Amino acid sequence: MTSTDHTQTSGLGFVGQSVKRVEDDRLLRGHGSYVADVTPEGVLHAHFVRSTVAHANIARIDVAAARRAPGVVKVITGAEMKELTNPFPPFMMLPNMYTPLYWALSDDKVRLVGDPVAIIVAESRYLAEDAAQLVEIDYEPLTPVASISDAFNSSKDQLWEKADGNVLFDNTDTFGDIDSVFADADRIVTERFSCQRQSNQPMETRGTVVEVDPESQHLTITNATQSSHALRWIIAALTGKQSTATSLKSFVTNKERRTNLLAGLKAFVDEHSEDLAKADNAGAVSQFKKDKSFPLHLNRISANLAGKTDYPTVVAQDIGGGFGAKGSIAREDIAVAVAAIELGRSVKWIEDRVENLIDGGQAREEDLTVSIALDNDGTFRGLKVDLIMDQGAYPGFPIGAAFITQVMKVMYPGSYKWDAFQVTTKVVCTNKGKYIAYRGPWANETWVRERIIDIAARALRMSPTDLRLKNMIGEADMPTEMITGPTLDVTMSTRKCLERLVYEMDVPAFEAKRAAAAEEGRVLGLGFACFHEAAPGPPNYMDAINPGSGAASDEKARTVVQADGSVKIYTPQMPHGQSHETTYAQIAADELGVNIDDIELIWGNTDKTNFSAIGTGGSRGGPIGGGSVKYGTRELRKLIAAKAADMLEASVDDIEITGGNIHVAGVPSRGLSFAEVAQAKVGESAPGATEAFEATVNYRGKGDGGWSCAAHACVVEVDLDTGLVSIPRYVVVEDCGPIINPAIVDGQVRGGVAQGIGAVLYEGLSYDADANIQTTTYMDYLVPTAMEIPEIDIVHLETLSPGENDFRGVGEGGMIGAPAALTNAIEDALASRGARVTKQYLPPTTILEMAGVIDPDPNSDR
Amino acid sequence: MKNPPFVYHQAHSLSEAIELLATYGEDGKVLAGGQSLLPTMALRLGPPEHVIDISAVPDLDTIGLDADGGVSLGALVRHAEAERSDDVRRLAPLISEAMPHVGHRAIRTRGTVVGSIAHADPAAEMPAVCLATGATMIAASSQGERTIPAAEFFDGYLTTALRPDELLTHVKFPAWSAQSGGAVVEVSRRHGDYALAGLACRVDLSGDAVTDAALAFFGVDSTPVRVPEAEAALVGKPPTAEAFAEAASIVSTTLTPTADIHGSTNYRRHLAGVLTTRGLKTAASRIGVSA
Amino acid sequence: MSNTTQVGETASLACTINGAAFAVEVDPRRTLSDVIREDAGLTGTHLGCEHGVCGACTILVDGEPARSCLMLGVQANGHDITTIEGLANGDELHPIQQAMHESHGFQCAFCSPGFLMSTVALLAENPSPTRAEIREELSGNICRCTGYESIIKGVETAVELLAGNEPEQTGQTGQTGQTGQESAQ
Repeated sequence: MTSTDHTQTSGLGFVGQSVKRVEDDRLLRGHGSYVADVTPEGVLHAHFVRSTVAHANIARIDVAAARRAPGVVKVITGAEMKELTNPFPPFMMLPNMYTPLYWALSDDKVRLVGDPVAIIVAESRYLAEDAAQLVEIDYEPLTPVASISDAFNSSKDQLWEKADGNVLFDNTDTFGDIDSVFADADRIVTERFSCQRQSNQPMETRGTVVEVDPESQHLTITNATQSSHALRWIIAALTGKQSTATSLKSFVTNKERRTNLLAGLKAFVDEHSEDLAKADNAGAVSQFKKDKSFPLHLNRISANLAGKTDYPTVVAQDIGGGFGAKGSIAREDIAVAVAAIELGRSVKWIEDRVENLIDGGQAREEDLTVSIALDNDGTFRGLKVDLIMDQGAYPGFPIGAAFITQVMKVMYPGSYKWDAFQVTTKVVCTNKGKYIAYRGPWANETWVRERIIDIAARALRMSPTDLRLKNMIGEADMPTEMITGPTLDVTMSTRKCLERLVYEMDVPAFEAKRAAAAEEGRVLGLGFACFHEAAPGPPNYMDAINPGSGAASDEKARTVVQADGSVKIYTPQMPHGQSHETTYAQIAADELGVNIDDIELIWGNTDKTNFSAIGTGGSRGGPIGGGSVKYGTRELRKLIAAKAADMLEASVDDIEITGGNIHVAGVPSRGLSFAEVAQAKVGESAPGATEAFEATVNYRGKGDGGWSCAAHACVVEVDLDTGLVSIPRYVVVEDCGPIINPAIVDGQVRGGVAQGIGAVLYEGLSYDADANIQTTTYMDYLVPTAMEIPEIDIVHLETLSPGENDFRGVGEGGMIGAPAALTNAIEDALASRGARVTKQYLPPTTILEMAGVIDPDPNSDR
Repeated sequence: MKNPPFVYHQAHSLSEAIELLATYGEDGKVLAGGQSLLPTMALRLGPPEHVIDISAVPDLDTIGLDADGGVSLGALVRHAEAERSDDVRRLAPLISEAMPHVGHRAIRTRGTVVGSIAHADPAAEMPAVCLATGATMIAASSQGERTIPAAEFFDGYLTTALRPDELLTHVKFPAWSAQSGGAVVEVSRRHGDYALAGLACRVDLSGDAVTDAALAFFGVDSTPVRVPEAEAALVGKPPTAEAFAEAASIVSTTLTPTADIHGSTNYRRHLAGVLTTRGLKTAASRIGVSA
Repeated sequence: MSNTTQVGETASLACTINGAAFAVEVDPRRTLSDVIREDAGLTGTHLGCEHGVCGACTILVDGEPARSCLMLGVQANGHDITTIEGLANGDELHPIQQAMHESHGFQCAFCSPGFLMSTVALLAENPSPTRAEIREELSGNICRCTGYESIIKGVETAVELLAGNEPEQTGQTGQTGQTGQESAQ
């Protein structure tokens, strides 16, 4: 065991302390159980045959030789897969949006290098890869769509026949009288920014192991997923080849199944009636206008779900990071499940790194033209954004362009006051990997806002922090609303964060340092950025994104005292590095008056946990998952106390629990153990009962602000000889409210900042003019190492909200603030040389071009 | 991402290795440390049909002291061994300079110096060190042994003058003069990556003047390249900042590096100039000259 | 005579893993990492990239760090292999493991076996490295979760533990880090 004393000694409780991680003992010994470590007896291994060209019709695919290859058990082509599955439906439909339907494998057309066209199942991965080399495919080339400008070029072939060219969404939202504000303001500052394609790159790739029960054919799926319940439902929905009529017949004739399903549906509708009433069908109408087959497929999917008597069990134990990538449900997840179903045997697929870089999840590639209207005294008046998002070939599922553009829409205005705001959003498709959520998926709203503010400050000859503070909403303004709708209360403390950061950075001292460095020919810069994020946000936040979408955001932990007195907590969260076992134990131990080691957290098994549409993502683990643990165990304590009060012949109000001892206040020596109380309770139950007390609380946030805020600043030094940028100082002032575990919060912040630094200086997915991906290995996609990431100082503010406090999420902020602060600092360093940073990605070549040290290569757009 | 099938041969003697190469060399690859071969196999990039493992061949793991005062590295000497060797530091200091730049420790403990030279990655350090030091390649085949000067060894991207039936058994580095200063400098995007551009350089001094200079760049072309015009410009002049700047300027105008996703032609050209100045300054400082 | 193993045949591998003799017949094309994970059943060694960059599969070969994905299984013949499972002494964690626990070193921990094995090798050669040396030596291992600071602190804590000192407690609440100090980049 790790030698950590997990008993309470301070009397202050565990929440707020850097309790050492419960997870560590197993993980540090190499005894974790990640998906690749799961190898059922007799398991077969899958490998995908993938397109080698970016855009083409498939004239012929011949898998005969592969089927005959040594060790090969099954080959399924795209055409065969189409017969066995339903397509991925649109998850979130918006007016003026078209979301193409697609299947697990491609049959007649490929849309990116790496597009899966067949799955090979063999006795080993080595043999499956050997067989893949025997597959012959004749391609009829189509013109590649390799960039946003290609997507608007009408001479390029369409990826999706039913789309308008290669544009999937074009919509404008206006808040306030934008035209008169822009006409009236003293000046308008405009810039066009572009952000390169990035990738989440968890150290563990994706993977799935599908086990088939030989008797019942029940599937048990071990999958590195952030969202086990969504995966379970989608695999149930998309796999199965029976007709709609057969499905419906099965549904009608199976009374027990029908009753259960309808009861579950009714419960969900009842619980979420307010949200569901807000939803409209405008998005569905847009989708139907483009794709008349959509209702047909939806019917098939619904009938399939209704007709099935058995859904898969999804399980997962340890997950090697995700950063959003494992919230996606992948085409491969479906294909491997189908292969296992067809064979009646267990099948395993572990994505390799090349596959992961090609289509394991990509993000952030956007062009954003931003105009800020302001008065000469620095007063912000209006903001306009024109976004073009490159969603790649296939829509991310469930989170893709639809959801992310709408979060961006809500968050562009940031923590500032505006008279008017307008955003035009276009989503285009290209022959690239799929655009998905990547830690702070909307982060470019902060990047472009904080960039344009710095550019405006320079134009006005104002300090960038003065300009921010002049326009920033503060406590005196609360409660108020963002111009896009969500309510702001005191938890929106960006102003406090920035004020503290200005103090920490000591700008006059920095300027002296900069001048001294300049004497030595060294170039320094300082940049700030700040933001608030919904973590989880107020109730009207989800409605501002898409009315009614709050229905997906709540969660239920089930909390139990077992017959032997042990405490178990079943969470639908899917920890993948966030240390839920530790933080939830801290919360529960404080509520119940027990020690950390008395709590066991159970996650990852859909048979044991309540439904959650999202799982772990969106900074929800602390506020939503943690909240449901907190209020669930609070209910659980009441049940324990009531029983103990009976046993001790005392008033329930006098019951105290400390260190697992349940006693009357002041008489700890005559206390009862959890086991004693639990056994007494179980004695009253039916024989064989294993649970003494149980409480489940549905939770979706406290109902007020729920904002997390931060201000970031860094000092950079730019080497004008080499174009290398170093970061001698990086400071984050963050406020996620009451902190459960400071060391864990620090880790989340630093990890996010590291990814943000990677985004600016190291990480760019690259495609050539024919849409061939050029960054297929870790030699070319550069994840920063310990030599590139500086030490990051963190100041925690803990703004409390009135009354009972909830926890606020902190997983994403590091990544949201860092690209903005870092690019602002780099522009600050090079501004005297006339540089303006309009790209997020600043490799050494770009740095020296901006600084005027070198010219761009002729005929190069880099 | 698993290795493709191959016929695996393990040689237990030099003659066995040579015999195997004579038979299978055309479709085969030599496995020594494997740090370059294994990634390309895993990616199934032109995989060999035969892998000839020479790790059990005796006597190739030695760092030999040559009669002329130089050192010879056998084909199984690992980077980490060369890095730790006092003999190498004393007699072929440019190798010691290069070693910390080669990948990371866990690569250097397995990868071999001679293997890196035979692999001839144009962005790798050791091929350029061979050029800068005037190393000699010793290749063995069933037809006997032949020597190839470094200047004639690197033919193109990942290709050398070695015939398919030949094994590069040793690389001989000539005696290092007390009047020689050397440096290996490079810039990479991340620590341990292949260089965006790099330089292995040597300056020989007599009295106040440079008598000979070698500027061998890596990461700027399909092979490591010397820039004779810049070297010539140094000779006969005192080792001053001005002289180094002039050489740097010639380097920047002479080289036309290829662009890739990590750096443009102009960037690498500029960087080669910067490295010329930095490298020469460091090289001069090694023999007590501060420029 | 040279040994030749044809495609589809196996070759003998005999080595020690974590002190115990291990012998198996393997297809020569299989990587050492696959042999360790699948044949020896030691799944603590992780595969992050399989092309020698991420460092998650780092093990010790005769005490020196090596990428197990860049070795064939047969290359381990006659060698002494140490994996993450070989560090702890029964219930007692190795001081480097304990130090990483103390300093909240890892999050998802998928990369941790590589970092731990690299740290074992680093501290064997240099028992009191500077922070800059730690960063350089660990730069062959990629972590995507932590931003590295907690891992660096873990190595520093390990230095203390190995020297027999009580490690400094990490900050409990509030401000952490050393505001105002410049890092050695």
